[in-house]
Amino acid sequence: MAIQINGLSASRAGRLILHPTDLTLPVGGRIGLVGPSGSGKSTLCHALVDHLLAESIAVAHVPQSPDEALDPLRRLEFHWRQAERALGLSHDRERQRTLLAALGLDGRPLNVRPWEWSRGMQQRFVIALALLAPLELLILDEPTSALDPIIAAATLDLVDDHIANTDTTLLIVTHDLGLAATRAERLMVLSEGRIIEDAATEDLLSAPATAVTQSLVAHRNWAELPC
Amino acid sequence: MLNVNNLTVQLGGREIISSISLSVAPGKTLAVLGESGAGKSTLVGAILGLLRASSGQISWAGKPIERGKAALVMQEPRSAFNPRLPLRRSVLEPLYAGKLPDDPARLERLCKGLEIDPNMLDRLPYQVSIGQAQRAGVLRALIASPPLILFDEPLSALDAVTQKHTAKLISTLQQEEGFAALIVTHDMGYAAAHADSIAVLRSGHIEEMATAENFFRSPQSQYGQDLLNAAVSLGAIERAVI
Amino acid sequence: MKKLFEIFLRAAVVLAGTALVTFTLLWYAPGDPAATIAVARFDSTVSAEIVDKIRIEAGLDAGFWPAFRHWIGPILVGDLGNSSVSGTPIWPEMRTVIALTMPLAMLGMTIGLVISIPLAILAACNQGTWIDRGAIALASLGAAIPGFWLALLLILVFAVKLSWLPAMGTGTARHLILPGLTLGLGVAASLTRILRSALLEARNAPFLPAFIRRGVGVHERALAHITPHAAIPVLTVVGLELAFLLEGAVMVEVVFARPGIGNFLIQAIQARDFPKVQAVVLLTAVLFVVVNLLIDISYHLIDPRVGTQDA
Repeated sequence: MAIQINGLSASRAGRLILHPTDLTLPVGGRIGLVGPSGSGKSTLCHALVDHLLAESIAVAHVPQSPDEALDPLRRLEFHWRQAERALGLSHDRERQRTLLAALGLDGRPLNVRPWEWSRGMQQRFVIALALLAPLELLILDEPTSALDPIIAAATLDLVDDHIANTDTTLLIVTHDLGLAATRAERLMVLSEGRIIEDAATEDLLSAPATAVTQSLVAHRNWAELPC
Repeated sequence: MLNVNNLTVQLGGREIISSISLSVAPGKTLAVLGESGAGKSTLVGAILGLLRASSGQISWAGKPIERGKAALVMQEPRSAFNPRLPLRRSVLEPLYAGKLPDDPARLERLCKGLEIDPNMLDRLPYQVSIGQAQRAGVLRALIASPPLILFDEPLSALDAVTQKHTAKLISTLQQEEGFAALIVTHDMGYAAAHADSIAVLRSGHIEEMATAENFFRSPQSQYGQDLLNAAVSLGAIERAVI
Repeated sequence: MKKLFEIFLRAAVVLAGTALVTFTLLWYAPGDPAATIAVARFDSTVSAEIVDKIRIEAGLDAGFWPAFRHWIGPILVGDLGNSSVSGTPIWPEMRTVIALTMPLAMLGMTIGLVISIPLAILAACNQGTWIDRGAIALASLGAAIPGFWLALLLILVFAVKLSWLPAMGTGTARHLILPGLTLGLGVAASLTRILRSALLEARNAPFLPAFIRRGVGVHERALAHITPHAAIPVLTVVGLELAFLLEGAVMVEVVFARPGIGNFLIQAIQARDFPKVQAVVLLTAVLFVVVNLLIDISYHLIDPRVGTQDA
């Protein structure tokens, strides 16, 4: 079983940014989409979400920065109830408590505006919103770039734990192969609007086939620590 | 040698950094690690003389740091340049400011070291890539041969591959030029690859100070350990498989 | 809470400043204020004793600050003094004319809002199309037409040619329509343009795509997110328009020969009745301050960050 998309493409100002692409995302998989800046990652992300939403597939997209997901004038509680209504759910205090607790936000009052929380907490709130209903696909777009490393690592661990026993597929979109490699079992490499490689993480790291991937692999991390 | 002795800086009545002491020798690199809000940028501002210390001393070779003795490389490369001037004008600015003679040979050598095509310097900041702009930022910092260069999150606007490549170019140039480098970053990997010593800054004070070798073998503070675990967990540093 | 206190404090400071400036102008105006009052109340052959008597009466002999205290004291308790021409108290008369002008101003504002809000929404929703361009052209035309000319045009068409509505006077609701329309069309012209650009800006807010993907409907996005963001720049303009309506009312009341604050002011100026003129100046100042106070408070309610971020 897998989510199957054929011929996904996107263009801007008459130029093709994403060449027609077929994607197969196995259910419950952890997949990394990696590419240098300007390779079309965000474009692919948006095209993918909008395509799946149009097909009524339960998908949620967590943007790079919480500023792209929360209205600074509305309180967090409002965002929550609105998301529930949009999904056709009735308000459930217990579900809210459990979900926020799963992301390390337990006991924090929601009658505040987003900017009254730190960015790390806002980002977790956005993820909690995304997880309100069972998901077939969760897309995290550059999940670490707006956060300090300790918070970023903890947030990714919490998401991992929360979706561990579900059928939710996780797609991590990033420029950082090191990050994707520690978090995903399969990697896709995007370059100039085309997916140029798609392989199991270990295979891709040990035998990168293209020059772009070779460079990504060679620069995937900074140093090796003696254990 | 840069010496910071018991430095305390207050902003708006709040103590942002408290009694910090550190030093960097010529040719060496100190990485100051910490989360946002730890006081990293305040430290940089104080060393550059942009912020006043409420107590403590900052000195280079025993004397207060004069204008032009310390240069800064900022996080956002493109906004660090005047958007209306060609990069060349901005890059040579420290020479004009210090009334120093033009040295085309040095410019050429530095461009080569930073893999900058000299023709690129005739473009405007927004006409080059972020990576190119950041290398031009390093070029500007180096051009007047200051003995100390401060790097404030110099790589965080770049993508993973460009980060590592740029860091390598800077490191090679440092060996040739011999400047002291103070790098403020939250990127443990960068520090692991290029720093000689590490200072872990947390809410305004130094939690831990060690040589890079000792720190990455076994951090002494819990916070240092947490930072290291996060870097491993995010794939910035890999543990060697034995 | 601290922020609200600040807002009120600022309003109080502005009011105090206004009072001081008004009095300073009066004090340093060329000529002897006592003689001016005397000439206005009697005639130019008034005797020196009477001028001196007035000087003492008005507290003008004791120097700037005592005179200021003497002047501001009654105003603080709502006593605007007496007319220097008729000697009758100003406040009761002013209350009557305010009651005549208020419905006109309110009608002008209502017409302005009723026209500009749908027009701006229509234009913003059809950005770049002929509907949008038409709305902008209409608004620009409205802003370019002088109010008195529009008033005369309306009289010519609806009163003279069609005989649908009375051209001047007061008394019935029908008398309010043409003057209200004159004011309202002016307000609509400037509000349409501001509202349209505020809506376009709010519609490009970086967080909106996420709300679309979250399944939030178009109506809820418009009401719960775009409207509050667009309201912030628009509020300022609505508030200022409200205060400027007073100015517009002066012109409209003269053209339509309506009793009201406008004719009250014109007659006071022609009769050199300075206490009355001064009362209108103070009223205008108070109106501006109160309107700004309301704007500041609504800002604070919509976005508590406004004005709190230090450099």
